[in-house]
Parts: sequence; structure tokens; C-alpha cells
Amino acid sequence: MVCAEQQEILAASAGGDLHLHLADAYRRSAECHLSSARLQDAYADRLSAWHGDETSRPRFMTGVAEACGTTSAALTLMGSDHDQLSVASSDASARAAQDLEFVLGEGPAHDASVGGCLVSAAGRAIESRWPAYGPALASLGIREVLTAPLRAEGSCIGALAVFDPGGGTAAADTLTVIADALTRTVLLGPDADPELYEDADHRDCIQQAAGILSVQAGCRVQDALAMIKARAFADGQPPDAIAEQIVRGTLKLAQGS
Amino acid sequence: MTPAPLHLASVFVELAGGGGQGAPGVPSLLNRLTDRSKELLAVRATAVTFSPRARAAPWVAASDADVRRLETDAVAWGEGPGPACHRTGRALGGTALSGAVARQRWPRYAPRALALGCTHTAALPIRGHTGPVGALVLLATRQTALTGDLMALGQSLADFAAVTLLREHEVEASRTLAAQLEHALTTRVVIEQAKGALTARHDLSPDAAFTVLRGYARSHRRLLTDVAREVVEGGLDPE
Repeated sequence: MVCAEQQEILAASAGGDLHLHLADAYRRSAECHLSSARLQDAYADRLSAWHGDETSRPRFMTGVAEACGTTSAALTLMGSDHDQLSVASSDASARAAQDLEFVLGEGPAHDASVGGCLVSAAGRAIESRWPAYGPALASLGIREVLTAPLRAEGSCIGALAVFDPGGGTAAADTLTVIADALTRTVLLGPDADPELYEDADHRDCIQQAAGILSVQAGCRVQDALAMIKARAFADGQPPDAIAEQIVRGTLKLAQGS
Repeated sequence: MTPAPLHLASVFVELAGGGGQGAPGVPSLLNRLTDRSKELLAVRATAVTFSPRARAAPWVAASDADVRRLETDAVAWGEGPGPACHRTGRALGGTALSGAVARQRWPRYAPRALALGCTHTAALPIRGHTGPVGALVLLATRQTALTGDLMALGQSLADFAAVTLLREHEVEASRTLAAQLEHALTTRVVIEQAKGALTARHDLSPDAAFTVLRGYARSHRRLLTDVAREVVEGGLDPE
């Protein structure tokens, strides 16, 4: 008798809330695994339909973008100091937007990851929110950006952005589910592949170029990186293009060299 | 054994991870479970084992140090009420430690528990999503009968704690994975920067620069990352 009564008290006090919370957690977790399984299935289908020509190798990010209802999606992994450590994108404009954020040091992926919350901006709000990144993004013809943090426990490991998604609030909900699914299963799960099936780009060439330039200019490697970014912005070129010229020796940014 | 409802509620809040600053972590939750179940069930001592991953060594906690040592040995021997209950996933009802069954099944465990002043034992499974992940062991004297009511309350404590324990374990595992991923990515960055610095200093190809870095790290028994970082910061020239 006593125990039955205790159980009722429990269910009514601490237990009730907890069970609701748990039911919610399990539902979200199931949603997450389902989305992730769909992404992986879609990628497997693309790979099996592919004819083996390296230039047209299917990108994992293409499926991610599609699942978010767009063709343009960019995933960025960031360190605790919010530097971009690894990037992957579904198309050229997503990659251009990601390069802009890398070069200018401001933008939605940074804000979503730092704040741990969804970042949404459209039209003029983009230009007023990010004084340098905003106008540059608009000049790529992008009118709307929606970015979800990649939330791990107690931290964010990066962000997933979609460009011109349309679809209103449903798009934001979908993006959040996909971002959580990617984080838990593809990026951090026990069977994770943070290389995103060879889609991830670590900007190796830029880091090498920064090492070279730091020796040539006799400066710290962080300053060399800043010089590469500044040059890319000034020339309106992707930072990789500047880096390649430095590595090949056709571009000397160090004064006097 | 009729704990006041308010006290009972506060125990469950504690087992749900409340009542302190921030998340309690697995070891602290296990201590809460053994301390509170000892008190609420009015038994002589309690011990708990928790192993959310099949191949990793289990966590062990107990209401006192002697019982903790006994349970640690029990896990190592694979013998005693805890390991038995963990294996089957079913509750083990009150068993006399001096009885023939206990002495035969637990030749090492039973005498040690008796020497600690306990006469009876029971065990309740800690239940995970896909199977048992540990056991809550009750050690009693003749003063406390290990009745069905007591076992039912004990199982409630164990079930409640299991939810929080598994959640805390997932949180800690996720933190570790995120830290490992960041380490791998930042390591790659500094190695590429070091390759670049060496190509500029010595007119090497990037691949040759990597061979130099790796060779230096191996011959000096140092981590490649540390060598690369010193090259980038200018203090080291491994060529």
C-alpha cells in the first residue's frame, strides 16, 4: 500500500515532468535518426547511380541541401575560438558565401555557433546585421539566409546554413532537425564520418600558404592568414586562389620580396 | 519503512539531477543513489555498478568504503548478487548470505559480506534502453526484511536513477567526441602551416616537408602536433 501511494506521489511530483521530458527527448531522438538515415540513403542512391567520373562525384551536401528544401547549403565546423576548421557545401554560391565569412570574419555561421541559436535574416536586414558580409552576400544574388547551430552537449561545433530556402517557419524547423541529425550521427556519433564522405574541405592549401608567408614576411602565422584574407577580399578572389599562387611561388605578399 | 512524502519527493529530485549547481555527473549520481537508497530502504549498506558500454570497466559506488571494495572485487570475480543481477537483468530476491545457496554460488563474496556484518542481500537491475546496464545491491541485517514493498521502492529508485545516469553518460560521451573532433581538426591546421613554413625555409616540396616533420617527431619521440606547433611558432627547425 505504502509503495503504491509513494508511486502516485512520484508520478505527480518529480516523475510526471520527467516522463514528459523523456517522451519529448525520445521523440526528438527518433526524428533525428530518421532524418539521418534518409540523408545517408539518399547519398547511397546517388553514389550507386554515379558513373565514376571524378568531376561529377555526388556530394553528400547535395542531399543535405535537398532535405532542407534548397540547392544551396553550407556546413562549417568551428573550433572553440570560432575559426573555420572544416567546410563543405552543396554548390558554388554556398561555397562563395562560406568563403566570404572566412575572409571577413563575420556572418551567420559565426553568430549561430557563438549564440547556439537559429540565425535568420533576409533582404536589407542582412546588410544591416553584417556591414561587410551583408553587402558582399547580396552581390552574390543571395536574398535570404537561415543558419542553425550544430549543438553538442555544452558547446557548438559549427553551423549549417541554407541560402534562399523559402518555405517560412517550416524551413527553420526542418533545418534544426537536419542540423541535430548531422551533429549526432554524421559528425559526432559512434559511426561518425566528420569528413562527410570526402566532402569536407580543411582549407589545407590556405594553411600551407600562411606557413610560407609567415616565413617570407617574418610574421606570426595568424598575421599571415590575415594578409591572405585581406588580399582575397581586395582582389575579389576566393582565398584558395590567392593561397595557390603563394604555394606555387607566383605571388609574393611579403614586403620587399 | 514509511518515509514522509516530501522527503521522498526530494530524494527523487536529487536522483533526477537536481539540487546542485549544474549537471551532477555520473560518479556523483551513483553516490546519491547508494546513499539515498540505503537511507530510504533502511538497509545496512548499498552498492551500485553502472556500465553503459559493454566493454568498458564499470563504475562502482557504495554507501561505505568497505562495501565499495567488496563490490569492486565482486565485479572483478564476476561473482555476487550485483554481477548476477546485471547478467540476467532480473531482480534477485532476498537471499541469506549464510545459506547453502549463497555460499555455493558466491564462495568469495558471501564470507566477505558476512564479515562486514550483513546477513541478507538482494539486487535490482539498472535498466537501459536495450538491456541491463548495472545493478543496485542491497545488504541488510536481520532488522530489515527484504520484502516485496521494499524491493518495489528500490526498483523505482533504480529506474529513476537509470534515466539520469544514461543521460549524463551521453552528455559526457558527446563532450569527449566534440573535443576529439576539434583536436583532430586543429592538429591538421597546424601541420599544414608547419609544412608551409618548412617549404619556404628549405625549398622543399610539401610532401618532403611532411616527411621531415614526421621523421623529427619519431626520432625525438615527440608528438607530431607539438613539433609542428614549434616549427610554426619559429622556435624549431627540424631540417
